[in-house]
Formats: sequence, structure tokens, C-alpha cells
Amino acid sequence: MKMDTPGRLDALCGEYMLGTLRGAARRRFERALREEPRVALQLGHWQSLFIPRYSPMMAIEPSPKIWQRLDREIGLDAWRTPWYRRAGFWRGWSAAATIALVLAIAVQTFKPAPQAPAMVAIAEMAGKPNGSRVAAHLSPDGRTLELHASRPVLAGPAQSYELWLIPAGGGAAISVAVLGSLDARFDVPAAQVGKLHKGAKLAVTVEPAGGSPQGVATGPVIMIGEITV
Amino acid sequence: MADDQELRKLLLRAAARDEGSAEAFERLYKLCAPLLLGVAQRIVRRRELAEEVLHDGFAAIWRTAATFSPFAAQPMAWMATIVRNRAIDVRASHDVARVDSYHDTLDDDPDGALDRLFDWSPGADEGEDKRRSAQWVRNCLAELKGAERQALVLAYEHGLSHGDLAQHLRKPLGTVKSWVRRGLENLRTCVESCMGVAP
Repeated sequence: MKMDTPGRLDALCGEYMLGTLRGAARRRFERALREEPRVALQLGHWQSLFIPRYSPMMAIEPSPKIWQRLDREIGLDAWRTPWYRRAGFWRGWSAAATIALVLAIAVQTFKPAPQAPAMVAIAEMAGKPNGSRVAAHLSPDGRTLELHASRPVLAGPAQSYELWLIPAGGGAAISVAVLGSLDARFDVPAAQVGKLHKGAKLAVTVEPAGGSPQGVATGPVIMIGEITV
Repeated sequence: MADDQELRKLLLRAAARDEGSAEAFERLYKLCAPLLLGVAQRIVRRRELAEEVLHDGFAAIWRTAATFSPFAAQPMAWMATIVRNRAIDVRASHDVARVDSYHDTLDDDPDGALDRLFDWSPGADEGEDKRRSAQWVRNCLAELKGAERQALVLAYEHGLSHGDLAQHLRKPLGTVKSWVRRGLENLRTCVESCMGVAP
């Protein structure tokens, strides 16, 4: 771009900032801005002379639809921190919850352990690489399932995890349990006893607190694994 | 309004395209969208067009965040340029000038416009330099010739082209162009000499 005439580059920077540089001239200037460092530096100088601090009176609250559309169109979800790694989540995890958890563990620890039958590992569920892995163990009679997470995975106050059984031959996922933590022991629903066969899959979704209201998974699948036994 | 440092951090975080980039961009939007919508609205003058401009502008900010240079550019100025340029294009393609017959509705009081557009009062969190520089710009604008000041303010606030200005001010195109050119030059020289920058 020809900017060697004295004052020419400044004139272009000024008109670019003002908005009177139009059409092909503006496109040429923008290309020079990307390719010629002195152009970017000079525009930076102009911008530093006139730092716009817009008056708050100018503000107009945009309709929430604009953000929703933008979020969807540029695919922001790919760059979102998973909820369980957000600082706010752990800050929100109150002291009361910690005390309750400690008490619960203490009660568990000091309760005389029932004579548990040997459990059989049937599946391992995983989500993101390097994320927590959850092992599923089934009692020999097929009536009790236990989940063990390699790292604690706890639902937020407004969320539950829901464990689903995806039959080997396909077909709709069947809800097995609604959980607050992926370290859990619970009874397999009577209708599902005997259905946790080899080839079927177990999956965990994030649902509203209390589980999916529709009986079908509504939230994202965070873990999945095949039953191998 | 957030300070430059926060906006700069948010832009760089969005540009990094890693975990947390989405949250940074969302916060940037929350902080800046209302003002930038106001900026767009003054140029395209219709709410639905202004919202379209805001959407396209932020999509471009996300797309080109990696080209933002924290050393060369002020974050708000950088974003405002993107949104204003988009608004100016939309204004031209929708023939806003003719539709709204802005001759009747544009405010011809440049000083009033300057105080509507910008907050010249010293910001609480600003350093002495920045506070003084806002005052210098305000004073230098006041020192410009009336016609030059009016041309600059109309072009900035409403995104008028040289042709629009000529039509609105009922002056030949060449006259208006030289008002703009001389106005910008005089303003820059004045602010630089206040700052002690050698000419």
C-alpha cells in the first residue's frame, strides 16, 4: 500500500478510525494492517491518543436471543470448562456440604460392615481422556450394582447423574439409577435384573436434580462403557 | 465499565481457544455488548439492524481474536472498530440514509453529541495519564474550527461517509473532505503536543 507520502499513513489511520475510509480503500488498509507492522503500530498510536470511553448513556441492553444465537453458531460449547472443573462449583461446595460428607463417611466407616458377597467387575465407564473412570461391579445375584470412581465425581446442587443401560441389540436406553455421586451402591430395579449382559452398555448423563423428567436422557453423556462380562 | 486490563485478558483468553475460552468470551460480551449495541444503533438507526450488527461484530471478534495485539491496540477501540465497520457496511447496503431521511433527525449540535457519546469525567480506576488524556482530547476538539468538529462528530457518531456529509451539510464534496482531513490532522497534532510527543 502506498503510504510513503508524508502524512499519508496518518491520514489513513485517522479516516479508518473515524469510519470515512470506505470500500476498496478500507480493504487495502486492513490488508496492510495485517501485513505491515508499521501500519498496525501507527494505528495503535492513533487509538492510544483517542481512547473511547463511551458514556454509559449509550448502552442498550441487547435481547438475550443474540447471545444464544451467537453461542450456537460459533460452537462455543467446544471451549467451555466442564462444570466439575469450574472454580465456582467448588467454591459453591459449602462447608456444610463438606461436614455432611465427612459425617456420612464416618457413619459408613463405623457401621459394622455387612457380609457383602463378592462383587464382579462388569464394565468400566470413561468420558474425557484423563477424566475420572468409573468401574461398575455387580453382585453375583445381579441385584446390586456398585460404582467406584477413580476420582470423586459429585453432582452439583441442581444436577443429578443418571445411569442408563443401553441394550446390546440397540433400542431405547433404560434408566437404572439416579445418583448424586458416581461412588454408589444401589439395588438394580427389579425389571432390569438379569439384563446387564455382555455387549450392553452403561452410560451416565447429567440431568436436572432428581433425574430426567421425561424418562429419556436429556443431558449430555459424560461417561460410557461396555459390559464385558 | 470494565477496565482495559480486564478486557485485554478476556480477549487473549478467548483467542487461546482452550478450556475457559467460552466463558471469557461470554464475559466479554456481557461487559461490552450493551455499549457496542448503542454504538451500532446510532449508525444503522434501527434496532433490528443494530442487533444484527452486534451479532456479526461479535462473531468477527471471536473469529479474529488471535489477531488482536495487546501491545498495539486498546481492546475497546479494537472491538469498536470491528462493530462500527460492520454497522457502516450495513448502513450503506440498507440505504439507511434514504429510508430514515436522517437530514431531519440528526442532531447538529456536535458538543451535545460529544457528551452523549463519551464519558469525559475522570474514571475512578484510571491513572493520572489517562484522566489527563481524556481532558486533552476534549479540549483539542473544542479548539477545532466549528465546521471541522461538526464533520468529525457526525461521521463518527452516525457513520456518515464523505458523500453523506456533503449532502447533509449541503457543501461540495471536496470541502467536506478537507474538513475531515484537516480536522483529524489538527486534532492529532493538538493531542500529541499536549502529551509531549515530538511532531
